[in-house]
Amino acid sequence: MAMAALRREGRRFATPLISPNPATVFRSSIIPSEEPVLSGVRCISTQVVRNRMKSVKNIQKITKAMKMVAASKLRAIQTRAENSRGLWQPFTALLGDTPSIDVKKNVIVTISADKGLCGGINSTSVKISRVMHKLNSGPDKENKYVVLGEKAKAQLVRDSKKDIELVMTELQKNPLNYTQVSVMADDILKNVEFDALRIVYNKFQSVVSFLPTVSTVLSPEVVEREAESGGKLGDLDLYEIEGAETKGEVLQNLTEFQFSCMMYNAVLENATSEQGARMSAMDSSSRNAGDMLDRLTLTYNRTRQASITTELIEIISGASALEG
Amino acid sequence: MFRHGSRSLSRASTMRWRRPFSTDLPAEATKDSNFVEAWRKSIPAVEPPSTPSVFMATRPTTPSSIPSKLTINFVLPYSSELSGKEVDMVIIPATTGQMGVLPGHVATIAELKPGILSVHEGNDVSKYFVSGGFAYVHANSFADIIAVEAVPLDRIDPNLVQKGLTDFAQKLNTASTDVEKAEAQIGVDVHSALNAALTG
Amino acid sequence: MASNAAAPFWRSAGMTYITYSNLCANLVRNCLKEPYKAEALSREKVHYSISKWADGKPQKPTIRSDTPEN
Repeated sequence: MAMAALRREGRRFATPLISPNPATVFRSSIIPSEEPVLSGVRCISTQVVRNRMKSVKNIQKITKAMKMVAASKLRAIQTRAENSRGLWQPFTALLGDTPSIDVKKNVIVTISADKGLCGGINSTSVKISRVMHKLNSGPDKENKYVVLGEKAKAQLVRDSKKDIELVMTELQKNPLNYTQVSVMADDILKNVEFDALRIVYNKFQSVVSFLPTVSTVLSPEVVEREAESGGKLGDLDLYEIEGAETKGEVLQNLTEFQFSCMMYNAVLENATSEQGARMSAMDSSSRNAGDMLDRLTLTYNRTRQASITTELIEIISGASALEG
Repeated sequence: MFRHGSRSLSRASTMRWRRPFSTDLPAEATKDSNFVEAWRKSIPAVEPPSTPSVFMATRPTTPSSIPSKLTINFVLPYSSELSGKEVDMVIIPATTGQMGVLPGHVATIAELKPGILSVHEGNDVSKYFVSGGFAYVHANSFADIIAVEAVPLDRIDPNLVQKGLTDFAQKLNTASTDVEKAEAQIGVDVHSALNAALTG
Repeated sequence: MASNAAAPFWRSAGMTYITYSNLCANLVRNCLKEPYKAEALSREKVHYSISKWADGKPQKPTIRSDTPEN
């Protein structure tokens, strides 16, 4: 609701907002510096500025509130994201990091937010996903998208809707947790065929820094093939396997588990980045609104002062005319 | 106003390689060079994204002599229970049976079953009940244990375990479909393991 | 032991490892003493909406949720 109100306010005052220096606009149109002012005109001109000040103040209130909300959400989710960072490291230690792997069926999992006003993180996810698509396309290769979040969906629908396989939204109704993300991962595994899953997300570094990141999860068949051919995963053959009867079976369990763990961390990192980005976006918005308010106040006072002065001059000169 | 916002954000992103305050260690050297090259060749305008290995804490190579301690990472989705802790021994509930891991253990991938994980550190033994997951023992005497849920034994309610055991045993008898049977079987397995953990 | 069979019984029933491990974890959470039980169960709530796409068109979305709509 707050966002809708903000958008409304924003649209109404779009013109002064994009002019490089709003104060000059007002001054040129409002301050009648040359011609004498009638009292009625003065009321109207200061009225316009007063209205503008009021709406800027309202915008500032909204952006400040959104900043506070984002800040408190950030605190909660940042701890969870940091706690989840231990989860993916063992998998990368064991199965390596293979973004350059060349396979037939690629599935790009693009993680974005459901809501906007959070800087460029959604566009970054989409941009990187598109490049991953381009990088892995070729004859007899397949690229599919699995999209998380409304914002990436809206952008990908424009040019790659043929390649969209699954869309998942409304992730953050409850606080994000492992069960939720793993059930989603399960849905992805059941609904798409893949040789490699590439998870694209924004990794949270600090409230002003988010690193676009790609995590790769291979299918058990590819893992086995790579391990046997002594490629990137050659070390995997050195491990003894305790568990089910066959190696393939353990690898299948392992890669499924890997995917849900990688996804969990990726979703959390991206959600943290979202709140961080929203917080800094709203922070600079409030600051800008404050600056604008200062300029408007100045204009307002100057206009008022100018008309009072004019009136005084009129009275004094009238009186002195009578005397003289 | 929003334009100004985006400008300050883009300024922020240019200082992305500043040392982060996060828990991860940056290790640029381990980046996949093939990937970065291919990316640069194909799309020079866009900076290649990071990959997990960039954020990996570096791990030591296999030492020539067996170290006296085993370094374990025991992680759950919602917390890192033990991280880089040096211990004498862990006993892991592998699907093939309890597996004791000492420093210098052969590199192993083990699937976990519901059971007791015990961490031995001098005379101290801490015991957790893990629901399932994986454990990797690396050749450099590092062990990673990943579980979906793990709890200290004293947080388990024995009455609920007994009740669950009888409930699921009954369900197993009445189950008709494959899925129901499997669910009931899992229930019986987990509760028997819990029961064994509490009584044993 | 059922879990030592050639193909695990849960996979023959159409489950993935993720489903299996989640079921196990949930059973363990259900056997906890209070207040740990309530805390663990309230942490792990599922809600999201999923829609499959075919030929560039979304199909009807499904809501996956373990809490009833209100």
